Amino acid sequence: MDYLQAFAISASGMAVEKARVDLTAVNLANAQSTRSADGIGVRPLRLVSAARSGTDFPALLAGAAGASLQGAQIVSITTLATPPRLVFEPGHPDADENGFVAYPGINPVAEMINMLTAVRAYEADVAALNAAKAMALRTLQIGG
Amino acid sequence: MATEPVGFIPAQREISLDSAVPREQPGDFSAWLAGSLGRVNQDLVRADEGLQQLASGETQNLHQVMIALEEARIGVQLLVQVRNRLLDAYQDILRMQV
Amino acid sequence: MINAIEGLGASMVKLALDAAALRHQAIANNIANLHSPGYVPLAVSFESQLEALRRGQAPGKPELVEQLDRAPGPRPQDADMEMVALAENTIHYQALIKGIGTQLAILSAVASDQRR
Repeated sequence: MDYLQAFAISASGMAVEKARVDLTAVNLANAQSTRSADGIGVRPLRLVSAARSGTDFPALLAGAAGASLQGAQIVSITTLATPPRLVFEPGHPDADENGFVAYPGINPVAEMINMLTAVRAYEADVAALNAAKAMALRTLQIGG
Repeated sequence: MATEPVGFIPAQREISLDSAVPREQPGDFSAWLAGSLGRVNQDLVRADEGLQQLASGETQNLHQVMIALEEARIGVQLLVQVRNRLLDAYQDILRMQV
Repeated sequence: MINAIEGLGASMVKLALDAAALRHQAIANNIANLHSPGYVPLAVSFESQLEALRRGQAPGKPELVEQLDRAPGPRPQDADMEMVALAENTIHYQALIKGIGTQLAILSAVASDQRR
């Protein structure tokens, strides 16, 4: 059994899910931020992940050299084009001419759901890593 | 009540050296050994079949497979030890000076 | 040389060990790609190789197959199912390891005479 590869697969999944949780934390931290660096305003961030290239199933089936299961990878970080939430606050420094302040349209419920699924997937990756370690240690005991 | 004088009590049955120790007919031990070989062989076959079922995923009882394997292993060890003792006894007899 | 006395059970267990190791990698890959869009879960099949062994031929390697009956794409709800499969596969692998270890111990008891 290729233990290094099994560990690498689980480690890649863990990295992806940890990045997703980090993005959720950023979104929640900026839920009340009214201005952003690029001037457009704060938008919710989403992580786009995909299966790691080089693991095309046809290549695996053909037994191509170097083709192996390699887990997941981060493709990009995108922003959702959700409309901002307008709140009437005339005294706010960022209020527009009508007195409305544009708060980011970050839905805390959606962010929490994303975080929960990411944490559960992370725990599943940890379980896979521990199982691979247990199997490797038990294999070493062949022969007493 | 008068006690009877201690007298000669004849033997109830004849005691002889021959009947004191049950003697096995020559050939009983080899028959027992051959039977044991057959039983250990059956254990090994059963253990191998259990392994086949485990490998193909058909096994209903994991514990029976493991127990059959252990029983086969202990049976083989016992058989090897019996063989070793027999050989040692044989060599002891060979070394005896007439 | 020891293949002559090992028997069919030992060679089947070795094939099953290969399949269990590959299945662990397939499950780990499925878990790592729970949120990957367009990803098809993988599984392992080695029934045809088992049949080849039973007929006395040299078996091939266990194969990865796509589970096309499950919808591709991000499937975060499969985390529990994959973890159950992971636990079952780990137990199966360790049982096979124990089985082949005992089989080898039997052969070792015979080959070494266990001289004290």
